Amino acid sequence: MKIAFRLNGKQIHIDAAPDRRVVDVLREDLGMTGTKESCAAGDCGACTILVDGESRLSCLMLAVQLEDRDITTIEGIAEGEQLHPVQNAFVEHGAVQCGFCTPGMVLASVDLLNRNSAPSRDQIREGLSGNLCRCTGYQMIVDAVEAAAEELRDRQES
Amino acid sequence: MNDQNFDNKNTSFSYLESRPLHIGASVPRLDAYEKVTGKEKYAADYYGENLVWAGVKRAGVPHAVLRGIDFSSAVKVPGIVRVLTHEDITGSNRQGVIRKDQPVLVNDKARHCGDAIALVLADNKESLKEALDLIVCDFEPLPGVFDSEQGLRNGAALVHEDNADGNRLLKGEIKTGSGSDAYKECDVIVEACFQTQSQEHAYLETEAGWARLLANGKLEIVCSTQTPFRDRMEVAEALGLDPTLVRIIAPYPGGAFGGKDGVTVQTLLGLAALHSGGRPVKMWWNREESFVSGTKRHAALMYYQLGAKADGTLHFLDVRLYFDTGPYDHLGGVVLTLALEHAGGPYRIPNAQLTGWAVYTNNPIGGAFRGFGVTQVTAAVEQVMDMLAQKLGMDPVKLRLKNATKRGDRSCVGKTMVCSNGLVECLETLSKHDLWKQADDWKSSAGPFKRRGVGIAAAMQGSGYGPVVPDYANAKVELTSDGKIRVYCGVVDMGQGNASTNLQIAGSILGQESGQMELVLPDTDRTLPSGSASASRCTYTFGNALIGAAETLKQRILQRAADLFMASGPHEMALIPGSVRHLPTGREVPLFRLVKFFQDSERIAVHHFRAPVAADNIGVSPEIKLHGLPHTLFSFGACLAAVEVDELTGAAEVKRFLAVSDCGKVLNPQIYQQQIHGGIAQGLGYALSEKLEVEKGRILTTGFSTYIIPTASDVPEIDSIAVEIYEPTGPFGLKGVGEIATNGPLPAVANAVADALGIRVFESPLTAERILEAFASNGRQESSI
Amino acid sequence: MRQVSLPRTLGELWAVLQRQPHSAVYAGGTDLFVKIRDGQLNPESLVCLERLTELQGVQDNGDELFIGAATTHSKLIVAESVREHLRVLVKAASVLGSPPIRHMGTIGGNIVTASPAGDTLPALYVLSAEVEIRHCEGSKRIPINEFIIGPGTVDLAKGEILAGVWLRKHQGWNLSHYEKIGRRKAQACAIASMAAVLELTETGKVKRARLAWGSVGPTVITSEGVENALIGEQLSLEVLKNAGTMLDKAISPIYDIRAGADYRRMVSKAMLLRLNDYACGTTY
Repeated sequence: MKIAFRLNGKQIHIDAAPDRRVVDVLREDLGMTGTKESCAAGDCGACTILVDGESRLSCLMLAVQLEDRDITTIEGIAEGEQLHPVQNAFVEHGAVQCGFCTPGMVLASVDLLNRNSAPSRDQIREGLSGNLCRCTGYQMIVDAVEAAAEELRDRQES
Repeated sequence: MNDQNFDNKNTSFSYLESRPLHIGASVPRLDAYEKVTGKEKYAADYYGENLVWAGVKRAGVPHAVLRGIDFSSAVKVPGIVRVLTHEDITGSNRQGVIRKDQPVLVNDKARHCGDAIALVLADNKESLKEALDLIVCDFEPLPGVFDSEQGLRNGAALVHEDNADGNRLLKGEIKTGSGSDAYKECDVIVEACFQTQSQEHAYLETEAGWARLLANGKLEIVCSTQTPFRDRMEVAEALGLDPTLVRIIAPYPGGAFGGKDGVTVQTLLGLAALHSGGRPVKMWWNREESFVSGTKRHAALMYYQLGAKADGTLHFLDVRLYFDTGPYDHLGGVVLTLALEHAGGPYRIPNAQLTGWAVYTNNPIGGAFRGFGVTQVTAAVEQVMDMLAQKLGMDPVKLRLKNATKRGDRSCVGKTMVCSNGLVECLETLSKHDLWKQADDWKSSAGPFKRRGVGIAAAMQGSGYGPVVPDYANAKVELTSDGKIRVYCGVVDMGQGNASTNLQIAGSILGQESGQMELVLPDTDRTLPSGSASASRCTYTFGNALIGAAETLKQRILQRAADLFMASGPHEMALIPGSVRHLPTGREVPLFRLVKFFQDSERIAVHHFRAPVAADNIGVSPEIKLHGLPHTLFSFGACLAAVEVDELTGAAEVKRFLAVSDCGKVLNPQIYQQQIHGGIAQGLGYALSEKLEVEKGRILTTGFSTYIIPTASDVPEIDSIAVEIYEPTGPFGLKGVGEIATNGPLPAVANAVADALGIRVFESPLTAERILEAFASNGRQESSI
Repeated sequence: MRQVSLPRTLGELWAVLQRQPHSAVYAGGTDLFVKIRDGQLNPESLVCLERLTELQGVQDNGDELFIGAATTHSKLIVAESVREHLRVLVKAASVLGSPPIRHMGTIGGNIVTASPAGDTLPALYVLSAEVEIRHCEGSKRIPINEFIIGPGTVDLAKGEILAGVWLRKHQGWNLSHYEKIGRRKAQACAIASMAAVLELTETGKVKRARLAWGSVGPTVITSEGVENALIGEQLSLEVLKNAGTMLDKAISPIYDIRAGADYRRMVSKAMLLRLNDYACGTTY
């Protein structure tokens, strides 16, 4: 079926089976492999995308549900070469190791900071608890989100 | 995507703000940019036009003779390209690192539920799944072996009938001093039996790869692996190919931790590509398949007796270890050997009797996992140390300090410790930390229904391959035709950051910033054989080789520039970012210009390094020596867990964690801390929640909703302190940091729980249920409720 | 390939359900898709409720609140009226799954899934929730404990959907408590859980009490015995321990992959003792 939606700021039309998983649409049909798949059951957060600005799991969403939505994937979060403050903080603060959880973790962090612009470390941990990471022990991810929150607040003020 | 050309796959960093590359600086990882933007292409991210999906029919039974495979319905599924069985394999159809005992596709019998029976090639995932479900295996069930002690008994079912030692894969025995007889000379003896569980690596990227057969007969395999060079040989032998026709390309794995130390998808993908009519083939195990078929940390049963003199001087150790290696060697013998070597912890124990068995069973495959046998024995020895301290009425830090090895002392296997050794510094730093000094105050301020305890553990971790198997690396550095410095990494970076560290090393020596650097990831056709990404060896061994290559290239560049400027010699020249400067005159020549004066053969420098090995003759069998005993280089650590236990539920929560580690000099503090934090988080999962439920060889927890790894809310804030003792043999004084941190959490947490409740739980993980049961049967009368 | 319908109005929904009576209906999909993938379910076609605005959000209808079945947990826990009147539900929904699961999963889904471990269920039981069932010709209201029949089973006929939940606003509880015992701190499935709402007098005596346990029986367990043992008493360890003895007959925990039956038995009683934390007069 024909499905129309916005993807990373651009209106697009795709032709997909209505029951095709969104993660497959993105990775296989559109070649956007930044969205990862790891558990396929909603337990890990690797396939996180933003749907109308809110984090969702693309392994538990069907193509038909994309209709009219505004979808942001990891490929759409930076502005050109300019990294999103969350991405930048992940690089600077050592939040990236193997990197397979990173796209989902970055998007979950963006969602978290949209809801709470000044989260405590515990709130950051809770806010990211749907995204498993097996490399970092999370501490530097929390550091990065703290730093990104500050950066985003500074931008808001200025 | 199908016109992949791997011959020019180089990563440059010119789009990033150029950073100075100094040794010892927290240079942000150069791989991070591609990873945060989703651009980095993992093995799982390869697709391509006209793709064939390959999938595996698994045995689903733990032990059974395979009488036949009926795939007549499967081949009729629309979209099926081929169904392959062992009959389609012309090579040895066997894989393995030490002992080649694992079939690519089963030809005689299934030895565990994850065994591969048939390989299906399909146009799409849906057809593949349908066909796999339609394959019928004709099995004659056999009695199974599901317990390592039971496997050694007479009359146990045999996993490998052709193994002369029955179900014994390897037995190791080490006796030092007067061995068990020293029992009599002890004033105090403690005794315990510990049981540690299988642990799943749970990397986020499950086993994945992509392959194609080129018209010239070359088989290209892109895969998530720690061991590209070994994979090439294994794939070639199993499939009956010339190894020079097999090319393994290793992108960054999405986590590995030992689980990709050896063949997973590689040979199956190779086989598929040989039969796909030239089409590219993709295989990507789903999470359940990864659980069922992947390797695990060996479950272990460990009997300990530790004896000391009244003043706390350790005198005697008797250990019996049973490691469940599952149906295949994988690296089980090596894991057991490392466990034996570390069975006495980082302590002087003059008399020891150490015996261990790696036992074949029909359980999931035991294999390499960060810590590699050391994790299990550290859990045991560090708990008996606390039990001993309690019995002696001694402070647990003081007991450890009293017996800590120093350079020149012998370890429990009689090996003289010759490397740098910061164990005492680690323990002293820990004992001066507020978390230890103020432990009593913290414990006494627990809230209602809470009890608090503080536990410590020390550890050491040998690195490298041991005395026999050569631990070498070959580094290659190129001055590219446009004046960049290109580093060819021979060792995989599965997330630990060594690729970035390599750039830091080469950049530092060659005076370049990140913008002038390029990177080539491991590829058997482009980079040089440098061993596995394992054993805490990556930056130690490859880094030493890289220093040699970079220094050679540096001298060549400086000499050519000196010649060009008619300088009196290279000492007048200096490499600066992008250029070489003649210091007396200030004249400069950019590298992109200078390189025109190089012949192609000069632009590349290579260097071989082989790690030093132990020369001690400690009287172990040649077989045990082959399996890696003894090591000569060790990292050390001490850690502390502050734990709060809920009396009502039994749940233990780690509130704070401190790790003090001696991994030599730190080349990049940020990457160092990543390794320590990550090792601790995995260790805490092992300590508290990661429970692989296996019932008669069948895993019941095959996903992340039932196999519970820590979330961000489950890992406490970690204090990590590096005790930077310079290691003379290391690159810039470094030792390995990859594994040491994984070993301490389980015993530290168990010791903290014992401190909090006055009871000890001998079986891990220390789930709330186990703690509450132990507490209910023991300590209820003294509780407040 | 399965047909998936995305109706935007109830009219469209009834038409789809008439056309495809064997459809599986979902909103967030966080449970259904896991079961389809596992092979536990294999519906012919699917109907997604996420676009039905009529089933979303919290409506204030005077003495009652109506929470639309397709209201996500995230929306539920920030709704002012829910936070004001139904604190125990907020506490329970806040620890359900993980943030993305709460953004996708809905209260209706949690009810219809009818897992004994469903986090909102004990809270809905103690709040005497009624569910509204709608079909193309009308609707009916039934108490939640009558709607949920057994594990994974609810009283819903073909052509009917769960439209939402009705809850009385002013229930007078001044102590709202939810505890979940899981295998980790976040993103945990309940090994056992307990929701409790109590009305304490100014002197701390229990005037009224409603308690419910999750994961210790085929459905949510309530116990009048426990409640009666608390009423009229001052909260204390003694009283709570005594009340716990009433629980033995009510619960029928099982052994599963997450925990044993004995453990579940022990902690369902032990969780009661946690209410003693409130005994010092602080109520919330």
